[in-house]
Amino acid sequence: MAQFKQWALQYVLSDDESAQVEIAQKAAKEIESTRASSTVVGNWAASIHQWMTLANANDEDDEMKDGDEGTSGDIISRAKALSFLAATLEFLDRTMLRPDQVLRLIGFFGSMFSYDHKAGITASAKALRRLYAMKSFKPDMGIKIIEDVCKIKEDFRLQTAATRLEIYELFLNLVQDPAVSSEFQHKYGSSCGFAVDLLELCKNERDPRNLMIWFRILATLLKDYSPSSEVTEEIFKTFSAYFPITLRASATPIGITAEDLKEALRGCFSAHQRLAALSFPFLMQKLDQGDAVTVAVKVDILKTIKACIEQYENPQNSVVPHIEKIWGSLKYEVRNGEVKETIDATLEVLRAIARKLDGSNTQKLDVSLLQGYIDIVFRDCRDDLSNPTYTKQAGLLLMTVTTTNIRGYVLYNANFIDIIRQNLRQPKSPSHIRDLLLLLNSVLKTRLDLVKNRKEGHPDDEEQLKTESRVHLETLFHDVYLPIWTGKASEAGSEEKDVLKQVVQGLALLVSQEVLTPSGDVSLLYPGSICSEICSLLTVTITKGLSLSSNDNQANDSALEDEVVVGLRSIVMNYTDGYDELVSRAKTEIAKRDWTSPSEYSLGALRDILSRLTFIGCSEIPTYTNIDAQSRKEFSPLQHFVAALHTLLELFPLSQSPTTSNVYVISSIHAAVIWFRNACEARYKEDTLAPYSTSDKNWLEEFETLPGDWLSKLHNGGISTDVALGVLQEDNPEVYRQFLRLSLFTVRQLYTSATATTQTVWSEKSLTQLAQTAALVIGSLDEKLQKSCNLAHEAFNFFRTPGSSATSDDPINSLLTVGILQGLRPGALTELYKPGGVAEQFLCNTSDSAYPSSRAGDIRAAIGTILSNKYKGGPSTSDPESLTMKRVLDFWGSWLKDSTTSAEVNADKFQTLNNVAMHIIAGAVARQDKSVTDLIPILHQAAASQHANGETVAHSLGILVKANDLLTPESHAVVRRFYKQWAYSHLVKPLYELARPTSDNSLAAARYSVIILPIVSHCPFTVYQDDLEPLVRLLVTALTSRGNVSEETAQAQVISALEILVEIILNDADALKGYVKEIVSGTTKVYQESVPKKTLAQPVPQATLTTSRKLALQVLGAMPKTFEERYTLPYAPPTQRMLVMACGDPARKVREAARSARANWAKVA
Amino acid sequence: MPEIQNENPTILNVSELPSRRSKKIVPRSGPDSTFDSVLYPKQAWLSSSSSEGEEADDDDDVAPIDEQDIFDLISPISDPEHPHTLGQLSVVRLPDIQILSSDSNHRLTTVKVDLTPTINHCSLATVIGLAVRYRLEQTLPPSWRVDVRMKDGSHAQDDQVNKQLGDKERVAAALENETLRGMLEKMLEGC
Repeated sequence: MAQFKQWALQYVLSDDESAQVEIAQKAAKEIESTRASSTVVGNWAASIHQWMTLANANDEDDEMKDGDEGTSGDIISRAKALSFLAATLEFLDRTMLRPDQVLRLIGFFGSMFSYDHKAGITASAKALRRLYAMKSFKPDMGIKIIEDVCKIKEDFRLQTAATRLEIYELFLNLVQDPAVSSEFQHKYGSSCGFAVDLLELCKNERDPRNLMIWFRILATLLKDYSPSSEVTEEIFKTFSAYFPITLRASATPIGITAEDLKEALRGCFSAHQRLAALSFPFLMQKLDQGDAVTVAVKVDILKTIKACIEQYENPQNSVVPHIEKIWGSLKYEVRNGEVKETIDATLEVLRAIARKLDGSNTQKLDVSLLQGYIDIVFRDCRDDLSNPTYTKQAGLLLMTVTTTNIRGYVLYNANFIDIIRQNLRQPKSPSHIRDLLLLLNSVLKTRLDLVKNRKEGHPDDEEQLKTESRVHLETLFHDVYLPIWTGKASEAGSEEKDVLKQVVQGLALLVSQEVLTPSGDVSLLYPGSICSEICSLLTVTITKGLSLSSNDNQANDSALEDEVVVGLRSIVMNYTDGYDELVSRAKTEIAKRDWTSPSEYSLGALRDILSRLTFIGCSEIPTYTNIDAQSRKEFSPLQHFVAALHTLLELFPLSQSPTTSNVYVISSIHAAVIWFRNACEARYKEDTLAPYSTSDKNWLEEFETLPGDWLSKLHNGGISTDVALGVLQEDNPEVYRQFLRLSLFTVRQLYTSATATTQTVWSEKSLTQLAQTAALVIGSLDEKLQKSCNLAHEAFNFFRTPGSSATSDDPINSLLTVGILQGLRPGALTELYKPGGVAEQFLCNTSDSAYPSSRAGDIRAAIGTILSNKYKGGPSTSDPESLTMKRVLDFWGSWLKDSTTSAEVNADKFQTLNNVAMHIIAGAVARQDKSVTDLIPILHQAAASQHANGETVAHSLGILVKANDLLTPESHAVVRRFYKQWAYSHLVKPLYELARPTSDNSLAAARYSVIILPIVSHCPFTVYQDDLEPLVRLLVTALTSRGNVSEETAQAQVISALEILVEIILNDADALKGYVKEIVSGTTKVYQESVPKKTLAQPVPQATLTTSRKLALQVLGAMPKTFEERYTLPYAPPTQRMLVMACGDPARKVREAARSARANWAKVA
Repeated sequence: MPEIQNENPTILNVSELPSRRSKKIVPRSGPDSTFDSVLYPKQAWLSSSSSEGEEADDDDDVAPIDEQDIFDLISPISDPEHPHTLGQLSVVRLPDIQILSSDSNHRLTTVKVDLTPTINHCSLATVIGLAVRYRLEQTLPPSWRVDVRMKDGSHAQDDQVNKQLGDKERVAAALENETLRGMLEKMLEGC
C-alpha cells in the first residue's frame, strides 16, 4: 500500500513524461507479480485516495466560487493521480484483471463522468478504453460504459478536443464490437435508446479529427444496428446538418483534408438503404438551390448521390422510387451545364443508376427496371437531338445511359442510332452534322469497349451480344458515312473539314467493330469487300498529294490527312488485307513518276506518302480477326512490316543517281524499323529480350541459305512457303525476335548493295540513314547474339561473302562502319582489340590515304571514339594484358608531342589528325581509362608549346568532354557517371594558377586559358562550382582582352566565356558580384566588336559573330534581373544607349535579345 | 471601365495570324512525323561543325527589320476590353504596316502603322494607338520614326485620333498619366 502511495505521489509530483512512464510500469509490474490479487489491486486503486477526497471537498467549493484559481492546483494533481491509474492500466497485461475487478474499475472511472468533469475525464476515458481491451471485459460492461459516459451531458463539449477524441474512439470501439452490439440490440431493441443519448451528447462536435470518428460511429449505428425510423431520422438530422462540409485552412496542419471529411460524411449518407427516403430528397433539394451552390458543393452533392446509389441494397425499394426525381434534377446539369466537373459528376451518377438497375455480375435484376429508367431519359432527350444547341448534351445523356452496360446497349442502341440517323438526314448546319457524327462515333467506340470487356460481367451479357441485331450497324457505311463523305469531300471549308474528320474516325471505328457469332466466334462486322471499299476511299486522300501540282495543293493544313493516317492505321490493324492494298496502290502511284529531277513539291509529297505508309503499317502490331466466320486466312503479326520493307526495297532506287528521292526511300526503311521496334517494346515490355538470351545462332550464316528475295517470298507467299517465319500470335514476343532477324537481313542486303563498286545510287545521306538503321537493329540484339553472328567482323567487312565482287573503297562508306560499331555492345567487340589487330591498326593510322578529305577525317574520328570507348581488355579477352589501348594513347601522345615541336606537319592535315586524336582520347575519357592520366602532362605541354599547332591542341581539348551522340547509353557506350568531374580535375584544375595573366610565361598562360574555357563550357555547373573565383577572373579577361591567340580562337574563347557566364548567372550569380563593372563593359565591348564591318574581310564566320553578339546581350540583359539596382545603376545610361542601338542589329535573334535586355535595363532608373 | 462597346468581335485563331514560319516550309506535324529529326536531319551526321550548325541554318536570320517584324512586335498587345490580342482582333494587320526609308542608306526609316478599330466609334482607339506607338518606340532603334494612325474611314473621328497620336507633346503627357500608364503596362504584358 505504502509503495503504491509513494509511486502515486512521485507520479503526481513528476513533470517528466519518461519518469512517469517508468513509475507506471513499476506499478503494473507489481500488480502482475501478485497475479492481481484483490488486496494489491485495492491498494493500488486506493493509492490516490488523498487527492480524491480532497476533490470531493473542493468540488463543493468549486460550485460556489467557480473559476477560483486557488483550486486549479488540486485539479491538476487530481488529474495526474487519475492518470497514474490509467497509465498503470496501459502497461498492465490485459489478461491479468478478473471480471469483477474490471467491472469495479469501470464503475470507478465511469463515475468520474458524473462527478469530476474537470479533472477526471481525460484519464478516465483512457482507462476505460484500456479496460475495454481487457480479456475479462464482458459485453454488458460496454452498456454500462456508454451509460456512464453519457452522464457528462453538456460538459462534454467543454472537454478538450483530445479528450473528446479519446471518448469517440472508445465509443467507436464499443459500437463496432459485435458482442457489445448484440448486447445493445438485446437490451434496447430497435429503439436504440443509447443512440439517442449519444446523439444528444455529441451533436455539437466541430473538431475535424473527432468528426471523422463521429461519422464512423453514426455510419456503424445505421449499418449494423437496426434503429427505428424515428431514431434513423434523428441520426440523419445529426449528420445531414453538417452537409455540405468544409474545412477552414489552418496554420497547423492536422493531417485531415476537406476531402477526407466529405468522404466520411458521404459514408453516413450511403450507410444503409433505410436512409433512402431521407437522403435523396435532402440531396436533391440541396442541388436544386440553383446558383447558390458552388461547383465544389455541387460535385460533393453529386458524388454523395452516386455513393448512395451504389451502396444501397435492394434497389427496387431504395433507388427506383427516386429515379424520376433524380433524373429531373440532373438532366439540366448536363443539358444546360457549362462546368466540366459538374457534368462529369452528373454523368457518373446516371451511369451508377444504370449499373445498379442492371444488377451485379452474379445476379441480374428484372429488365423492366433498367428499361423504365432508359425510357425516361429517351423521352426527355430524343427531341433535343434535332436542336443544334442541345445535340451534344442530349447525345451525351443518351449515350451515358444506353452504353453503361451490355444489356442497356443491346436493348436501345438500334433505337438510338436510328434517331441519330434521322437527324442526319435533315441536318441544321455543318456543325450539327459534326456533333451528330461525334455522337455516332462515340456509340461505336463504346460498343468496341463493351464487346472487348464482355467477359467481365454477367454470363448473360455475352449471350445477348451473340444475338444482338446488327442490321442498323451494317448499313451505316452506305447510308450515313459514305453520302456525307462524298457530299463534303469536294468542299474545303474548315467546318466541312471537321465533318470529314469525324467521318474518318467513324469509318475507322466501323471497320474495327467485332461481332459474336452464335457459336461464340469473333469476326469483323463488315465483309472484306466493304472494308476494302473504305480503305480505298481513304487511301485516295493520302495519295492525291502526288498527283496534284504545287499550285493545286496550297493548303498548309494537313489535319484531315493526319486524321486519315490515324484512321487507316486503326483500319489495317483489324482489316489486315487493307495494308497490302494500300501499299500496292501507293507503289503504283510512286513508280509512275520520274524521280530523276523532281520538283521540291513532288519530293515533299513523296516524303509524306512514304512516311505515312510506314507509320500506318508499322507503328502498331496488327491483330487477327476473322473477316467472316467461315474462312480463316493466313496471318502474321509481321505481315505489315514485311509488306512495307518489301515495297520500299522494290521502289529502291527510284532514280539511277544519288538523289534525294533515293534518300527518302532509305529513310523510310529506317522509319519502319523505328516504328515497329517501338511497337514491340510497348507491346512486350520486359519480355522483349528474354526469349533469345540463350540463343547462339549465327543468323548471318542462316541468311546465306535463304533466297535473295526472301522478303518478296514472305510477302507474296504468306506463311505457307518453306522459308516462312512460322505461325505467330500477336502476343508472342517471338515477333520481336523475328522482326530483328528480318531487319538484319534487310540491313545486310543494303550494306552489300551500298558498298558494291558499281553503285551510283547511294548518297552520303542515304548511307547515313542505312548506318543508323544498322545501329538500331544491331543495338537491339543482345551481346550473345552479336557475338554469335560475329558482327564485329562485319564492321569492316560489310557483310561480304568470300566470293563476292570487289567493294568500293569510297571513304564515305566508313559511315557504315560507324553504324555497326555503334550498335555493338562492348563485350561483342573484344575480338577487334587483339594486339596489332584491326582496332589498333585503324586507331594508329595517320597515313595520307586514310584521310582523303576532312569529311573522311570526321568519320574516322567517330569510329575512333567508339573503338576507344568500347575497349575491353583483360585475361579472358583477346587483349589479355590490357595494353592495346595504352599503346594507342601513347602513339597519339607522341604524335602530338612531335607535331607541336617540329614544324613539318601540314596545317590542314594537323587539324584533321588532331581532331581524330581528340576524339579517340574522348572515348577513353568517358570510360575513365587510367592510361589517359599519363597522357595529360603531354597534352598540357603540347598546348603550351611555342609552336602554332599548340593553340589548335589547346582549343580542341574541349572535345574530350563535349556531348557526343555516340557516347550515349542507347549506343551501349561505356560512360562513367562522373567522368566529367574526373576529366576536369585532371585536365583543368591544375591550370588555374598557371593561367593567370600575370604569370611569367604569358604565351603559356594564354594557352592554358584556351584549354580551360572550352572544357568548362561543356561541363555542368556543379563540376566547377568550387573554382568560381579563379574562373571568373579568366572569363573577364577573355571578354576584355584578346590575349596572345589567333582571332578565331579568341572569338571561340569569347563564346565559351559567355556560355559559362550564362550558367553561373543561373546557378550562383553571387560569385559575379565583384565583377559587375567588368562584365558590363566586357559584354558591351564584345557586342560592339562583333558587329560585322562592311569594309573588312571577316576572318571569323558570320554565324559565330552573331552568336557572340546574342550571348553578350543575353548576359548583359540578365544583369539587372540578377543584381540589386545599386550594382547596376552606375552603368545604366551608357548601357541603355547601347541597347537602343542594338535593337537595330542586322540579325533577327540578336534584336530579340537586345529588346529583352533593353526592357530589363529600362527598369534600372 | 465603361461598359463593353463591341461585345462580339471577330476573333482570328493564333495559328491563322501571319507569321514568318508560314512563309517557309512548314515542319510536318502529323502523327507520322515523330522521328523526323532523325529521319530527315538538317545536319550531316558526325559533322565536326555540327554544334555551330544550329545557328547557321536560319538563312534569313540576318535580315533588316521588315513588316513582319513590326507585326510580331505589336500584334501580341492585348485589347483593353477583350481577352484577345490586337492581332487576333485584326486591329493590327500585316498589309497595313509600311516601312519607308528616307534615303538609300537606310539612315532614317519611318514605320507607318494603320489601325482598324473593331467598331468605328471605339472610344479606346486612342489608347490602342498609344500602346502601339509606345511599344514600337520601346523596341525600335533610335533612327526609326513611328507613325501610328487610324485607317481611313475606319473610325468616326479618325482625324482627331490621328492628331492626338501624332502630337509628340500630347503623347509624352499621356505617358505621364499614372492610370493610363498602368493600362498600357497591362496591355503590353503579353509582349
